[in-house]
Amino acid sequence: MALYKIADVIFDINTKYNYTHALCKNYLYKGEESAEYSFSITDEMIKKEKELAPTFPDFYLESLAVFRVICEYLLDNKQGIIFHSSAVAVDNEAYLFAAPSGTGKSTHARYWKELLGDKLSFINDDKPIIRYVDGEFYVYGTPWNGKHHLDTNCKVKIKAICALLRAEKPFVEKANVSDMLNVILNQTLRPNKEEQIDKLFDLIEKLLYNVALYKLGCNLSIDSAKIAYKTLSGGKNED
Amino acid sequence: MKIKSGFILRKVADSYVVVAVGNRVKDFNGVINLNATGAFLWQLLEKGISEEDLTKKFLKEYDVDKEILEQDLKVFLKKIREAGLTEE
Repeated sequence: MALYKIADVIFDINTKYNYTHALCKNYLYKGEESAEYSFSITDEMIKKEKELAPTFPDFYLESLAVFRVICEYLLDNKQGIIFHSSAVAVDNEAYLFAAPSGTGKSTHARYWKELLGDKLSFINDDKPIIRYVDGEFYVYGTPWNGKHHLDTNCKVKIKAICALLRAEKPFVEKANVSDMLNVILNQTLRPNKEEQIDKLFDLIEKLLYNVALYKLGCNLSIDSAKIAYKTLSGGKNED
Repeated sequence: MKIKSGFILRKVADSYVVVAVGNRVKDFNGVINLNATGAFLWQLLEKGISEEDLTKKFLKEYDVDKEILEQDLKVFLKKIREAGLTEE
């Protein structure tokens, strides 16, 4: 039995392959509490993942199945959702960068790192989890951390969510709720059951009205990070 | 004409959106945005309805010219048919 604490929930994860356990090692739970939710991955669940991503090996697909179970549990019980994005923390406030794959989320996050150095930590570069806790939205690191393997096992209050787009000249502007709705919907996992859709939509609606929303025009230079950070942080300079 | 199963229409943050759930996600992973009239049509199409009845119901609800409606409706229905959202 191996217990992991992910997004403040203790899971007992049972798998056929060791890969998931290696992946989750920074989230190993060694405390006294027992698991809140215990589950095993079946061949059937791996088969389902294979239908969506036929080229990946079973041990990897199993880790995706684990992630899916965790996300469904969080949505059902914990007001939690996966939000496909690159999430960083500065001064204990989180900024989330969302965009279709290939737009440059990770690249933009790296420019922030270059700009802010040790003041910045990567929460998760690919699949952080968002939870609504006591009237506030928080982002959590997860072991599913993207191709650059950047994540921190932490919980940080969300300051802003940004939709990234490519632009020749970098810019920052406030985004409205209807602009951001599709961006956010496209970055979450579609639930299996109809009743979960209402939970998902309810959370997304709360999220849209509770955090600052921006559009960031980014080019491939550190200037986009400079302009973005200054506006988003409320006028702070990088040093 | 009828919307296939697995598509769900909801109002979120004052916008109408349609997404797929369950196995339907394999065919459609995006988001459809509808305005209020689009949502009205969608709800009727979810239950299955002929083009003629759809026109009638719409005219009962909205004060529009029948000919213009029929033209617009054709465009709307063609769009959702071509997107593979319907069964006959």
